[in-house]
Amino acid sequence: MNPGVVLLAACALAAPLVLADYQLIFAAEILVWGLFALSFGLVYGFGGMLSFAQALYFGMGCYGFNVATYKYALGTWSALAAGVAAAILFAIPTGFIATRVRRHHFLIVTVILSVLTSAMLASGHWRWIAGPYVTRSLPFVPTLAIGPWELSFASEAFTFYFSAAMVAAAVWLAWRLVSSPFGRALAAIRDNEARAELLGLNVNLLRWLMFTFAAGIAGLAGTLYVLLARYTNIEFFDWTYSGKAVVAAILGGASSLAGPFAGMAFYLATTEYLSRYMQQVAVAFGLLLLVVVRFAPEGIYVAIARRLRDAFRQKQ
Amino acid sequence: MELLPVLVLNGLVWGLIVALIALGLSIIFGLLDFVNVAHGDFFMVGAVLAWVLIDRTGNFWIAFAIVPAIGLVAGGLIERGVLKAVENDASLSIVASFGLSLILQEGVRATYGATPKRILDPIGVTFPVFGLEYEFYRLFAAGVSVIAMGAFFLFLHRTKFGTWMRAVRQDREIAIAMGVPSERIFMWTFGLGTAMAMLGGVVAAPLTSVEFRLGLDVLPLCFIAVIVGGLGNLPGTAAAAILLSVMEGAITSFAEPTTARIISLVFMSVVLLVRPRGLFTGLAT
Repeated sequence: MNPGVVLLAACALAAPLVLADYQLIFAAEILVWGLFALSFGLVYGFGGMLSFAQALYFGMGCYGFNVATYKYALGTWSALAAGVAAAILFAIPTGFIATRVRRHHFLIVTVILSVLTSAMLASGHWRWIAGPYVTRSLPFVPTLAIGPWELSFASEAFTFYFSAAMVAAAVWLAWRLVSSPFGRALAAIRDNEARAELLGLNVNLLRWLMFTFAAGIAGLAGTLYVLLARYTNIEFFDWTYSGKAVVAAILGGASSLAGPFAGMAFYLATTEYLSRYMQQVAVAFGLLLLVVVRFAPEGIYVAIARRLRDAFRQKQ
Repeated sequence: MELLPVLVLNGLVWGLIVALIALGLSIIFGLLDFVNVAHGDFFMVGAVLAWVLIDRTGNFWIAFAIVPAIGLVAGGLIERGVLKAVENDASLSIVASFGLSLILQEGVRATYGATPKRILDPIGVTFPVFGLEYEFYRLFAAGVSVIAMGAFFLFLHRTKFGTWMRAVRQDREIAIAMGVPSERIFMWTFGLGTAMAMLGGVVAAPLTSVEFRLGLDVLPLCFIAVIVGGLGNLPGTAAAAILLSVMEGAITSFAEPTTARIISLVFMSVVLLVRPRGLFTGLAT
């Protein structure tokens, strides 16, 4: 087994012993938002599609969870499944539209889809769609049945373990997918679409499948976030939230699975850390972005990993 | 329904302003291959600077004269100092301009404040149109946009610098080989694009409430206009922006504004699916 993975798992297991409660929740937030950034990394880094719609599927994850718990009074497992299903169901038609166009047009179509959905949900019409499911504070603490036990999300340690386990499972699934023949085919399309098409690949179908899979990942992130923060907001659907995933993933390195997590950790940790010392965190973070883009354009994680590997090789 | 002409007129005025901003975005996009997410925020900064200058001097016309010049210089300096490194890489340009956008928004929030403010109509003359008193300033705003766009097209087609800009966009390598000073072109193109956004901001300031989030709504509209008009097709961009706003204005006469926005966005999506290379590509020229 990869020593890095073992090390990470050991760190995650030990985290509740070392970290204070609020730090645990912060760590869980990094993992969940990192998963959201990964969903962008999958469509962009592996599929070559610069999407500004990922927040839609994050939001749909929250929406599915809310419908399941509010309207149908379902348990947490079913609500989780409902969140992911809502994101995937929404991605099937919207992804079909978006993946038919390319490059800048794809970007704009995803922006239009985001603005359109936000406008519809915010408008106050279509109450039967928006209902109380978009902006909501959970009036209860969710619990989860695992075997004979009923575990509560009131416990920070359990919340952290559960988020970490779900994120790990999702990353494993994504890893299996990108290293499968499907992932290879998609990489071929990203690198040279004309050649991939000549090889007989169904380009649009493959792009659509990847888009839908990534939407499912974003939906899972949204659902996990509701369990963690116990509130949802219409803001989650906004294209500026997609922008955060875009920035974090590219900052960390969008073409690796760990990069988006590294980028999101950097984003959240710096904004959190800086905010203790100065009021204008966002300005400082903006400057930091410009510096990173200037000196590590391939992404922080990828740049550091390469430096380490080079140093290691030189020693040998 | 009797409001229809006035709403269409409002849509036309707003569409002309958006067209001006979108043109600025389009030249940056087309020439530098730079996806400028901060473009809407330059528009916002233009409006905020207008408010500040009016607050200090009490005169709208000073703001009107100074702000675009500030935009030209600031844009040029930002391109030369900061953005040079990430040009020609669309994804990095998004990250860099997102950083820029954060700096502009939060910088304005820290200094100007978060509360929306209003500017009085600087002309203050109304005249009757279709049975309603219509502000003369709106016509003036539309006129400024039209003149600015006309001047820009003249500049692009009648001056040496404009010809260079078109040459660099058509084929960068050949243009450089022919001795076109591409570095200078990039710098002033970004400056010019920024100046257009900030002029749009000044002109639009008395028509809306001025706050640090003003750019967030305008940016998607501009991007949509750039793509629907056909990437690199400048008159197409302007036409798409005007079409979008006039359509929204017309629909607002019988439906609510959000419904109008939704209908026009759906229309734009359909256009993109049916004519992915832009509404006007292949019609003429």
